[in-house]
Amino acid sequence: MIKLKGLAVMLGWMLLAPPGLAAPICVVDDLEVEVCLDQPAKRIATLSPGATELAFAAGAGDKVVAVVNYSDYPEAALKLPLVGNHTRIDLEALLALKPDLVITWRTGNPPAQMEMLRALGLPMFAIEPRTFEGVSKVIEQLSTLAGTEQEGFAEAERFRKGIAEIAEQYRDAEPVPVFYQVWQTPLMTINDDHLIGKVVQLCGGVNVFGDMPRLVPRISAEVVLEADPHAIITGSVEGIEDNQLDRWKSYTGMTAVAKNNLFFVPASPISRPTPRLLEASRDICERLDVARERE
Amino acid sequence: MTRSLLVLGAISLAALILALAIGSVNIAPSELWKVIQGEGSALHRTLLLDLRLPRTLAAFATGGLLAVAGALMQVLLRNPLADPYVLGLSGGAAVGALLAMLAGMGALLISGFAFAGAMLAMVLVFGLAHGTGSWTASRLLLTGVVVAAGWGAVITLMLAITPSYKLPGMLYWLMGDVSYARTPWPALVVLVLAILVILPLARNMNVLARGPMQAAALGVSVRPLEWTIYVLASLLTATAVTTAGSIGFVGLIVPHMLRLVLGNDQRIILPASALAGGTLLVLADTLARTVIAPEQLPVGVITALLGVPTFLYLLHRSR
Amino acid sequence: MSTLHTRDLIINVPGRTDGFPLNLSVEPGQTWGVLGPNGAGKTTLLHTLAGLLPARSGRVVLSDSPLIALKRRDIARQLGLVFQERQDSFPATVMETALIGRHPWLSPWESEQADDQIRAQQALVAMDVDHLSGRLLSTLSGGERQRVAIATLMTQNPDIWLLDEPTNHLDLHHQVKVMSLLRDQSVAGKAVFMCLHDLNLAARWCSHVLLLYPNGDACWGPADSMLKPSALEQLYNQKLVTVEADGAPVFVPVSPS
Repeated sequence: MIKLKGLAVMLGWMLLAPPGLAAPICVVDDLEVEVCLDQPAKRIATLSPGATELAFAAGAGDKVVAVVNYSDYPEAALKLPLVGNHTRIDLEALLALKPDLVITWRTGNPPAQMEMLRALGLPMFAIEPRTFEGVSKVIEQLSTLAGTEQEGFAEAERFRKGIAEIAEQYRDAEPVPVFYQVWQTPLMTINDDHLIGKVVQLCGGVNVFGDMPRLVPRISAEVVLEADPHAIITGSVEGIEDNQLDRWKSYTGMTAVAKNNLFFVPASPISRPTPRLLEASRDICERLDVARERE
Repeated sequence: MTRSLLVLGAISLAALILALAIGSVNIAPSELWKVIQGEGSALHRTLLLDLRLPRTLAAFATGGLLAVAGALMQVLLRNPLADPYVLGLSGGAAVGALLAMLAGMGALLISGFAFAGAMLAMVLVFGLAHGTGSWTASRLLLTGVVVAAGWGAVITLMLAITPSYKLPGMLYWLMGDVSYARTPWPALVVLVLAILVILPLARNMNVLARGPMQAAALGVSVRPLEWTIYVLASLLTATAVTTAGSIGFVGLIVPHMLRLVLGNDQRIILPASALAGGTLLVLADTLARTVIAPEQLPVGVITALLGVPTFLYLLHRSR
Repeated sequence: MSTLHTRDLIINVPGRTDGFPLNLSVEPGQTWGVLGPNGAGKTTLLHTLAGLLPARSGRVVLSDSPLIALKRRDIARQLGLVFQERQDSFPATVMETALIGRHPWLSPWESEQADDQIRAQQALVAMDVDHLSGRLLSTLSGGERQRVAIATLMTQNPDIWLLDEPTNHLDLHHQVKVMSLLRDQSVAGKAVFMCLHDLNLAARWCSHVLLLYPNGDACWGPADSMLKPSALEQLYNQKLVTVEADGAPVFVPVSPS
């Protein structure tokens, strides 16, 4: 008797219960970890400047509650609360802001602190896009997690189309040997696996160090002279010429120097894996066109 | 005698409570009390029990370990300027840790490698110093200094070849960072056990400080005692460096300051070093995580900034 | 009462061939003076007797036990040593220094008791340094430090006292005071064995004398049979003139003319 009654009560509850919680939102991140949220994220922490930009691009800008140093784009991000540097997070400040999703930089954030946050049960989504398609995918993923699919998918598509257009435009362009200088001392560049390297390729450039095994190789001036690029490009504040390429000017035998192909592009759009790569690509392509004219 | 230890104990406790209350989110003592009793808000509970308490205890243990190791080194080498790193222990630990970081290993393995590196350094210096015959304090010191320089070269090499994104992590380890400590318990246990082992030897150390010949003439088994001190100091340093990277100044300045104030009786200096070193590091770490929050400073910077003027003041006063 | 014997002891002076084997018997009530020029090995002998240096051959026997078989603490309870040169890397007060003499008598967990403090205080008084009790050792004069070292030995109160040139740095008054105190100690039953660079001190205060020659030769025995001018002139390579004063011979070096 009692058993039947219990069963009836249970059935009753099942019928009366609200139409269950929506299925959890699950996305696999760049560490191949599946991150599941019961509902779209409302309080997002972004632990790198790139992640901040991507969150805004995904349409989730108004849900970001914590950022790290140098999160300077878009402008609205400047007003958000800081929780330290991407290499050293103020964990207490982060926790106090009660995030329900933390976007981390796969290789840039300190592993020990990330482990600690994971142990505290915070949902952590690690990103590190390495290709243009990767950038689009991340925007889509973030918008899924934030419930802003409409904006996010649209932005991802806009980016895809933009890149495809440039690729089409420069498909048969004359290849230009390029040296991209990431840093002066020590002298650092990138290989073809790096997003910057892919931008160079997109514009029909040939990265003279594209085949190097390391993502960000440290090289000597000698090998640059030996490679004799036709264009040398570096990033600077807002693309304004500064002294970072002065050291090459004395090597008048270098093709790039002889033809005055020392170019500056705005540093932040090209260095971050965000939709601004589109503008950055256009900048680089324009410079390479100039180099082509001077051949 | 015991009065100074009680005073130090009280100061330590006050420092611990201060450290638990202050942070990016300040927790009033009444809130602290609530959390201890099992209530309090979820945020406070997480902050206090999962973040601040382990970190503060780790800072205390590390500071205590370094200060006691420093005091022991100063007795062993009969040199008031010796510190726990002078024989290359932190260099060995650093090479171990950086190798693990280079290979992309997790935090547990990094600690393991750091400890192994320190033990290797201990055996290496001992073996080299023992080399040809007599084992004197100055021979040990010279060997240690040279080996430490060697480790330094290896560290520089590793920093030069490591991919850029791994650099910040390595540098922070080298500067010393209590936030790395995943659990304070190994360090605390080692500290307490060490003090228990050392206290009966403390008077022997007083005699040893008069010189090895004098000590032997007064009934001290000099060689076994020197070995014991060497091994103990190495273990303490290795544990400290494994827990929080190579934090400087504490091991040199704390025993020295205490000697200026309390005299040279190791029976007081050793336990006092544990308490004072722990307190110093707890206070330094509190400052390191709050003074320019949310920016986080390396605690080694703060120990220097706090320790040096205090030491100079005490030196001036003791004239 | 402890005794110190050596059996065919040959001390290890680096670079020197084996010396004459020493068969000494240092008994309670004796005051031994070891004489010899610089480099004869007086300090080496003292350190060998204390077990701090290994002998080249032969044995040292402390109260029927060979020295090498004894633990350091047991040795320190029977035998004490005042060094010629001392190391002071860490500051210590006079009282702390004297108190350290009680170390061999205390177990690891024990702390100095009231009667240890009293012993140390009495030793400081006997050595005329009690008024300096709270001063740091490094602030004292050479002579004051010497007296503190002897006070430490007194506090240790072993049966056998070894001293390496105890009158160094001492002014005349304190030289006499220290020698007289050492004589009193041996009368009270201690065995005193000291290296002296002044042979007249030996002549005046010692009951037994050991002559150590730079080439390793040695002879020993009661003071009056050892203190013969011919032997001493050979020992010091210096012509001497003997005079009597205050009941003891006084040896005066004669300048070659």
